[in-house]
Amino acid sequence: MECNIVIPGQFLSDDAGKSGHGTYVKDGKVYSLLYGIMNAKNKMSVIPFSSKYIPSRKDFVVGTVINVTPSNWIFDIGSPYDGLLHVSEYPRRVDSDKMSGIMGISDSALLRVKDVSSSMKVELSMRERGLRALKTGRILEVSPAKVPRVIGHGGSMVSMLKKETNCEIFVGQNGRIWIDGTDGNMDRLAEAVEMIMEHSHSSGLTDRVCRFLRNVSDDDSENDENTQKGDFAEDEEDECKVHGDACRTVDALLDAEDE
Amino acid sequence: MSALKKDYIYNLILKGERSDGRAFDEFRDIELRTNVIEKAEGSAWLKLGKTEVLVGVKLQVGKPFPDSADQGVIITSLELNPIASPDFEAGPPRENAIEMARVADRGIRESGAIDLTKLCITEGEEVWMVFIDVHVLNNYGNIQDAASLGAIAALMTATIPAEREGKGEDSPLPIRDMPLAVTLVNIGGSMLVDPGLDEEAVCGTRITIVSNQDGSISGMQKSGDGALTEEQLLSAVEMACKKASQIREANLLNI
Amino acid sequence: MSDKPEKFIDENGLRLDGRQVDEMRPMKMELGVISRADGSCYLEWGKNKVMAAVYGPRELHPRRMQKADSVLIRYRYNMAAFSVEDRIRPGPNRRSIEISKVSREAFEPVVLTHLYPGAVIDVFAEVLQADAGTRTAAINAASMALADAGIPMKGLVAACAVGKVDGQLVLDLNKAEDNFGDADFPMTFTQDGEVSLVQMDGNFTQEEFKQAVEMCKEGCQKILGMQQEALRNKFAGELSTDEVDVELIEEDVVEAESDDVDEGAAEPEEVDEDVEESQDDVEDDSMIKADEPEFEEDEPEDEPESEEDEPEEETA
Repeated sequence: MECNIVIPGQFLSDDAGKSGHGTYVKDGKVYSLLYGIMNAKNKMSVIPFSSKYIPSRKDFVVGTVINVTPSNWIFDIGSPYDGLLHVSEYPRRVDSDKMSGIMGISDSALLRVKDVSSSMKVELSMRERGLRALKTGRILEVSPAKVPRVIGHGGSMVSMLKKETNCEIFVGQNGRIWIDGTDGNMDRLAEAVEMIMEHSHSSGLTDRVCRFLRNVSDDDSENDENTQKGDFAEDEEDECKVHGDACRTVDALLDAEDE
Repeated sequence: MSALKKDYIYNLILKGERSDGRAFDEFRDIELRTNVIEKAEGSAWLKLGKTEVLVGVKLQVGKPFPDSADQGVIITSLELNPIASPDFEAGPPRENAIEMARVADRGIRESGAIDLTKLCITEGEEVWMVFIDVHVLNNYGNIQDAASLGAIAALMTATIPAEREGKGEDSPLPIRDMPLAVTLVNIGGSMLVDPGLDEEAVCGTRITIVSNQDGSISGMQKSGDGALTEEQLLSAVEMACKKASQIREANLLNI
Repeated sequence: MSDKPEKFIDENGLRLDGRQVDEMRPMKMELGVISRADGSCYLEWGKNKVMAAVYGPRELHPRRMQKADSVLIRYRYNMAAFSVEDRIRPGPNRRSIEISKVSREAFEPVVLTHLYPGAVIDVFAEVLQADAGTRTAAINAASMALADAGIPMKGLVAACAVGKVDGQLVLDLNKAEDNFGDADFPMTFTQDGEVSLVQMDGNFTQEEFKQAVEMCKEGCQKILGMQQEALRNKFAGELSTDEVDVELIEEDVVEAESDDVDEGAAEPEEVDEDVEESQDDVEDDSMIKADEPEFEEDEPEDEPESEEDEPEEETA
């Protein structure tokens, strides 16, 4: 494979029109702004190896309440900027004095970024199917730069993980992944995610992780029997919807690395 | 920390497990390199799991304290350097750093690990001052034990720079004992040695016990807003002495 | 402390440590050494040992320090107490505060500060062992740590010093040359040849000064090459791939797309194309906001409200 690691300041192209994400133009030439992998499919763009989560409109995130004010829940969303969930963005009507009862400090929730102002005021929303406060499950943390890997081409990775582990999965673009299922299944899933992080730059990953999950699943087969039923069927639909567009956003990023 | 994460750690411990798969009485892997800083009289780079500290020992000629005119002086500093964690801030040491430095200092001082009378050059006038500086490089929990092991290892490799200071011939620092700190945390009534970062964040109570080669105890500190039962305290001490002797054997005896 | 040597350069033109006048001490660097940090680098240069770590962009407290329209860069140069012959008191002093300031300013021209308004990027440079040239060593390490952290930069920064001993210019001063030489002239060069740090003490003629700049520039270019190599090597091993795996992943794509995306308006067969078409704006969605308006002419600001229709709109 052609080694397409690029470094800040590296010359990429003579064609200023090809300047894409993570690049800049100086004197009509395109250079890299980031340390990462170059994607030269259409325009020249650079996917960084590492990055902080900077909220963007329509992102899905997993947040944890750090404060409750009379009209807002303030969420840590694993970013330099906290997120505000206004009480009117909660799916139901809530009185100001009851807010802490619904979500208190250290409670987590699945959220969507409604808007981000130029001064990086981040407004969140929970008024969408599938978004909710979390009472069960676990939150895994990965580098936001590696989120596309967990989602995979067309959501291939995440749907495989879901299928093989029988867990509910919500991948936040902020690098927090909420999972829920039996303890045994969540353990396997957490290991699989760790594996994805470790091998994030190699290809054939979905297959490799799948094989890994099938191997360990034999040991945990009894646990699988107890898998939570009921809510699952419903949730699964939501999950796909939630990830529909996220999948697509991810594809382009991954192409650069796999080809 | 999110409630979900806290619950996860608690629930695991109720089942007798830890999030990194260790047993309750199991330390993380220890990796020790000594004499890594040529400019220091002794040094040790210690990795305890992913926690990393660099300890340097410097010796200087100074004046003894009036109440111990024939004894050298030990001064231990430990800074929670902001390079080591997103939670550490630049600026003067906070209470946590000061507590840790003092616990490390007392462990070495009270154990008599260094024969201070041999550090006297001229009684009442000149003695060797031993500076132990702990530089924390990466914090994944339990800096206290890492600092303690790093410090004694650095001391064991230290030389008195007598020639440089015109005080005769260089000689090794007179080390008589190898005190080691072992820290345990109480989570949900269970006592765990060598707490990782998350375990430290979740625990209410932490206890550090410094023990010596002969099994005697030369320092102890409880910290955190929780309490311990008498039984927990007794078993913690027993465990700490056992672990200290294992660590000593595996890491220090060959220095 | 040793006394001033009689001669710094011998009859063969070699320096006290055996180097040529324009030869640097060996340099070694390693990336990603501090796992808690967002980016880090350990660098040895001669007997200098420095560790640099970057945290951020992250939230800045207290609020009054925040800059409304750009990120604040903080740089802290700090020497370990045991890093020098005579122990130094831990914590900042006038020297380290000055070095921190000029070092920070060496990076300000290259870091894209307006991308993270109100946040802070912290750069910590720890000198674990000092042997002349610690500020330049620290800057070289910090430059790598910033790249490692994924901070958008117009290029790397390389630093080096030129001095004068026995009336002759020398590159990358050693301890004796630093202590007793006639000049010390540290500089940093950005990748496109701009000078972002200059300090100088001692004595140069106009002519010597010009030569010193050239000498320093050449040194910095060498360092830049080493930095680039180290960055390229960090992931080189992981990126290897074999054809079998590539085929497997292609299969995955087809399967998954047909069962996951069909909820959207696009037909499964079309999805592939659509993705290609919408690639550019799509990336803007999920990556860090490293694109600048002035560089990106055709960035679609407003996306369609309905997420599922996105690709269709693009093709239409």
